[in-house]
Amino acid sequence: MTKIQNSKPVVTFARWGNYTIAFKTIFEQLGVEVIPPEKTNSQTIAEGASLSPEMFCFPLKVTLGNYLPALKKGANTVFMVQNVGGSCRQRYYGAIQEKVLKEAGHQINFLDFRATPKDVYSKVREISGASLWQIMKAARFFFRRLALIEKIEKLGQYYRPREIEKGETDRIIQWGFSKLEELKKEEDFPKLRREILKKIAEIKIDKNKSLPRVALIGEIYTVCDPDINFKIEEKLGREEIEVHREMDITYQLKKLIFPWKDWIIQRKINPYLRSTVGGHGRDAIYEMLHYIEENFDGIIHLLPMGCMPEVTVRPILERIHQKSGMPFLSLSLDEQVAEAGIDTRLEAFIDVVRNHYKNKNKFRTAKS
Amino acid sequence: MVIGIPRALLYWKQPYFWETFFENLGFEILISPPTNKEIVENGVKSSDPETCFSNKVYWGHLLWLDGKCDYIFIPRLKTNAGKLEYCPKFFGVPDLAKILVKNKILTETFDERKENLEKTLEKLGKKLNKNREEVKKATENSFLKQKEIQKRREEDFFKKIQSLKQKFILISHPYNLEDEYVNLRMKEKLEKLGAEVIFIDEVPIRKETKNRIQDGWPKFHWEFGKEIMEKINAVLDFNIAGAIEISSFQCGCDAVLKEFIEKEFKSRKIPFLYLIIDEHTGEAGFQTRLEAFMDTLK
Repeated sequence: MTKIQNSKPVVTFARWGNYTIAFKTIFEQLGVEVIPPEKTNSQTIAEGASLSPEMFCFPLKVTLGNYLPALKKGANTVFMVQNVGGSCRQRYYGAIQEKVLKEAGHQINFLDFRATPKDVYSKVREISGASLWQIMKAARFFFRRLALIEKIEKLGQYYRPREIEKGETDRIIQWGFSKLEELKKEEDFPKLRREILKKIAEIKIDKNKSLPRVALIGEIYTVCDPDINFKIEEKLGREEIEVHREMDITYQLKKLIFPWKDWIIQRKINPYLRSTVGGHGRDAIYEMLHYIEENFDGIIHLLPMGCMPEVTVRPILERIHQKSGMPFLSLSLDEQVAEAGIDTRLEAFIDVVRNHYKNKNKFRTAKS
Repeated sequence: MVIGIPRALLYWKQPYFWETFFENLGFEILISPPTNKEIVENGVKSSDPETCFSNKVYWGHLLWLDGKCDYIFIPRLKTNAGKLEYCPKFFGVPDLAKILVKNKILTETFDERKENLEKTLEKLGKKLNKNREEVKKATENSFLKQKEIQKRREEDFFKKIQSLKQKFILISHPYNLEDEYVNLRMKEKLEKLGAEVIFIDEVPIRKETKNRIQDGWPKFHWEFGKEIMEKINAVLDFNIAGAIEISSFQCGCDAVLKEFIEKEFKSRKIPFLYLIIDEHTGEAGFQTRLEAFMDTLK
């Protein structure tokens, strides 16, 4: 093992679905050497799980597994955000991961920062020595990329079920993300953005198709990362179901900046839950009520196995499901869940959604 | 009027406090019986499969009380006097109970970041049509009772620490330690094997140990996290033969805590045993593990 005190920091960080590309930009812009975390696959998950405490929740094991190959390649500094949700275990991810990695013999520098602008600034400053101007610039590029990634994801949700040639949307989106990852010069960004959006707009679709709509709710990490949730959005899209999802980084950032979002949520869910339960527990109930009002055809609740806030609110979600008759599926994910099992449950659920959609329309035409 | 209190989870956080409080206000109290097989089975059947075992037991107690009293008292514990949070699963308990039972539920939010305990109790009294004076008197009596118990426990601790037998410290949440059915009579089993058992709750925190510099664990925002770590720190001054931690299955907080508790004992070369309890735990399996653990110490 190399000593780290005198050597230059080589940064790796927690992976989070497609947003990883945007996180990478920050470090690159600051002139810090960065080795991005390995893409999540069954091997990284198994390695992460073997190191981490058995009863801990799934995202800790996944992110830990993603660091390991990067650490082998020479990274010596790990970035981990703490306290994204509130009073849940996420707060101790950094502490536990640092302990576990050090016990496994990795000599690393672990940077555990709170999700406040001040703390982010001081930690970034500590590692890179960059000026305020440089950090602001890096932040701007980060938000530019983040906005594009989220836009592509949203467009994908719309185009996938409507495409005429099956699989075209996914191919173009994959191409777009890989191009974005390879992008070196920041000046080329507007050009690339135009190119990607143009290609997506050129996908041939059946615009007048009416489709059943399904919403994804639940824990933010599992909902947003397609590698963890077995590409649930793509699978539903290919079955000609339009997927909606409100959870993404922008949503989380908006909640951090505008606290009144929490008050609005609380007011709406008052008949069901009169307190926060940490994490995004309240948001799940709020979104479910919202999607029922919007007349959706199904709701899928994703959570890591044993997630404290989501498990606490699940009986309430089930209660709402029983009262409203909205098709509801709750999927707990962890390292022992197999894709085949998820697929079977999804197929059955898709049948329920289609039935719900058909009956709803029948009722509507009979009434009018 | 009869007020029902489930003898599980939140009850053990402040044992005898609520009984004394409501009795002093002139209400009849109905406490569910000590946990038994039927209660656990009912609880497991009616709760979310992934919630922790202690919560499942609590639902069992709620179902036992359902229909037997006018109100079931379920406090919403959010933060304690030290402004530290309780387990996030406690935050939603009254709302989940409303879904589960048909009985009326009496609840009040205890959040000392926003309001001190006396004021919250006053509000609770108002719901029961009791005036300020009555509530104040009841509160004082309850605190006296709690102090008395605390004092007795500390005396107990110093008696136990003087014993010549091998001393074992049992670490867990009060609702696992005090409930004999849930922890499979762990204390009795250990005593039969010739050990002196000390509960982590009984350990007094003294000023000297509290102010010692800590770098082995993060700053906990959970009240039990801080308390347990401080008490472990205090008990390490005495001659302890071994430590046993009990966790309920799927307890999220213990997944964090265990790492640091284990580290604390292992770095001092004190044998440490970690046991997980749930509705499937067999008594024979526990007995074997405890015997093996005791044998390693000889």
